[in-house]
Amino acid sequence: MRIGFGRQIIGPLLAAFVCFATPVLADDTLDRGIGSEWSSLDPQVNFDAAAAWIQSDAYEGLITFDLSGKVIPGAAESWEASPDGLTFTFHLRDGLKWSNGDPLTAQQFVDGALRMLNPDTASEKGYYFTSVIQVKGADALANGETKDTSGFGMTAPDARTVIVALLAPAPFMLDIMGSFHMSPLHGPSFAVNGAGGFVDPAKVVSNGAYSIAEVVPQSHVLLTANPNYWDAANVKIKSVKYHVTEDVATELKRYRAGEIDVTYDIPLNQIETLKAEIPDEVKIYPSTEVIYYSFNLSKEPFQNIELRRALTLAIDRETLEGKIVKGGSIPTFSYASGFDPTYQGPTIAEASMTQQEREALAQELYAKAGYGPDNPLKIAITGTVAEDPKRRAQGVALMWKKVLGVDASVEAVERKAWLDIFYAGTWDVFSDDLVGDFAGAETFLGYMRPSSEPGYNWVKPEFDAAMDVAAQLSDHTARNAALAKAEKILLDDYIFAPMAIFPTRHLVKPSVKGWEASVAGYNNSQFLALE
Amino acid sequence: MLRFVTKRLFDGALTLGALVVLTFFVIRLAPGGPFSKSRKLSAEVLANIQARYHLDEPIWQQFGRYVWGLLRFDFGPSTRFRDYDVGEILLSGFPYSLTIGFWAVIVASLVGVALGVAGALRRNTGTDYLAGVIGVTGIAVPIFVIGPIMQVVFALKLSWLPVGGWNDGWRSLVLPVIVLALPNIAYISRLTRTSMIETLRENYVRTARAKGIGGRNVIWHHALTGALLPVIAYLGPATAGIITGSILIETIFAVPGIGRHFVDAALNRDYPLVMGITIVYGAFLIVFNVATDLIRGWIDPRVRNV
Repeated sequence: MRIGFGRQIIGPLLAAFVCFATPVLADDTLDRGIGSEWSSLDPQVNFDAAAAWIQSDAYEGLITFDLSGKVIPGAAESWEASPDGLTFTFHLRDGLKWSNGDPLTAQQFVDGALRMLNPDTASEKGYYFTSVIQVKGADALANGETKDTSGFGMTAPDARTVIVALLAPAPFMLDIMGSFHMSPLHGPSFAVNGAGGFVDPAKVVSNGAYSIAEVVPQSHVLLTANPNYWDAANVKIKSVKYHVTEDVATELKRYRAGEIDVTYDIPLNQIETLKAEIPDEVKIYPSTEVIYYSFNLSKEPFQNIELRRALTLAIDRETLEGKIVKGGSIPTFSYASGFDPTYQGPTIAEASMTQQEREALAQELYAKAGYGPDNPLKIAITGTVAEDPKRRAQGVALMWKKVLGVDASVEAVERKAWLDIFYAGTWDVFSDDLVGDFAGAETFLGYMRPSSEPGYNWVKPEFDAAMDVAAQLSDHTARNAALAKAEKILLDDYIFAPMAIFPTRHLVKPSVKGWEASVAGYNNSQFLALE
Repeated sequence: MLRFVTKRLFDGALTLGALVVLTFFVIRLAPGGPFSKSRKLSAEVLANIQARYHLDEPIWQQFGRYVWGLLRFDFGPSTRFRDYDVGEILLSGFPYSLTIGFWAVIVASLVGVALGVAGALRRNTGTDYLAGVIGVTGIAVPIFVIGPIMQVVFALKLSWLPVGGWNDGWRSLVLPVIVLALPNIAYISRLTRTSMIETLRENYVRTARAKGIGGRNVIWHHALTGALLPVIAYLGPATAGIITGSILIETIFAVPGIGRHFVDAALNRDYPLVMGITIVYGAFLIVFNVATDLIRGWIDPRVRNV
């Protein structure tokens, strides 16, 4: 009896033990960290950066991004825009195949877009087609007004042509024709397996450089080179493993032990040490996230522009990011610049002054607004408990205190509470940030339109008008110039203090060849090599 | 006895029920929701998503739906992980948590008892002090200190074991199991030592010695059996505690168990996942406590009649 009982318990556990024992990683595998677990491997649904990397390896959009983030041909070998900028025609490569060998047709790209817009899919990504670029008929499909897809502006007149008809010109539209924003859908597989087919290696059908070979929730996703990919001959790394490691300190140790070749992030308190120790492996460069401190315009003191200006100028951004936060964020006096090198946006007017001059001016403005040592301004900065923002908020509070004598406190709350406080409008100064949909100015400026976001209570018809002017231009350069005018109007009102551009932080082993700074964050494994 | 068993089981079910009700409503008191994002979702998209998760229904209806699902072992969909429902997430993660917990209990019992006996037999000698130091260290030094130190020593300096993950078979198990076992080694060795010292003074041990039974025999057959009773009583709840207590360890060692989801799910306001993990952990603790009660009742009739 005792032996039987023992066997019953220990037997299965021993079996489990043996099952889990997989061979040690082979060296020809690229091991990449992805932080906490991917939210979904469903290409029409997933909405986070970690999943986007896996997806960019496993699926290919009409275009793709090279390692520097530049748009290059993907499934489409060429494309052209109509003179009015409203119609884009994409020409697919000849002989494209899915990972199971089925031919890949133009209609399957349309099917992918339709599934993303379909309310039944409950995808958060539909807004790429309804608001980031406005594809004809997308709105009616997304809000369930119609199920009839005949009015949809994305069509496939033949097996190798995809046409996208827009309601308004969008010169940046190529940026959202990649696989993260728009993957094709293999209809037959989806019809049989439903969404469950995207995570089952036996069933998943993809069209990218890799196919999904193994999925272990909370642990890893293994990708192996897809022999049916059109450019398979040039895919140097034959297998890629994405590892979940929530704890960034553990990830660093795994990197040092050689278990991971490319990390998801770098622990804040280790950046200095690592920069000194292994400078070539530390990759820190701008991401598409801007950090700014918003002033609550619905509260009385902040309705005074002099005060907002004083608070904006009293912050010594170089010291703040370089000596206090030390997270690699890039100080900025602008809001929408620094992402797209072709966009020459404005900065706040005082950017050319020295910090000393700015502080002197800040003190003057602060006094003019009616505050002083006997009557200090009392405010709270609301931010999250994450390490970077917490340090930044404490630094800013200190600078406001030192330069102006402001009595500033820091209210650090967890992320969901922080969002709740924002929409409740009870905050004074909000430690704010925005992740752009692509590396361009428009995604940031569009967010500030009083018509689109109710959160800031900023009424400025001039800004809306300037944005409307830009929205009609199909020429990229002209459009950027018009956007810069709009940004000037925005910055001149000091409704927020621009702070910094949040960085992408990776450690990359010297054996991984080809890694480049990509603002949009795409570093497709197919373009990398392992030595 | 039957009445006793029925009563214990009924109490357990009642506790679990209370846990379900409390968790369901308390988690919803926290600010924000599963779909509050920094970039506000458009009204239509939000409506689609809320409808999918039935978050648009009145809360009593949501509760009813949840309980009805639960009765059929359906834990509902996760709001953060779209590819799996909560039941699947729990099923895929629990074996990892269970494996680590199981080995930690084994290691803790064997090492703990050995240290305790050694300490008791060689009282106030080097061996005893060493066992004492190990015990105090295990209790006093927190997991988040000892875990990273072990990683640095055994994975980075010596390269014997992997830092984390679950890619190297049994080698992946060693560090998390040791770190999870350590505080329990400490408790068990202290418990064994005290109880062993007391037992060695008992009349029956003295009688055994007087009858001329050899030292080793007395210890193994007579003293140890008696000395282990409190340890066995401790092991019941401790096993449940070890298996449900690996949250930090799973994070530090990147083990794909369910403990790691616990904090994350709460922060993401993934209501169904929070519920699922709470219920599984709750059920686990309750079952172990009830089982301990029943065993005690079976051994000691006095307990039964309370």
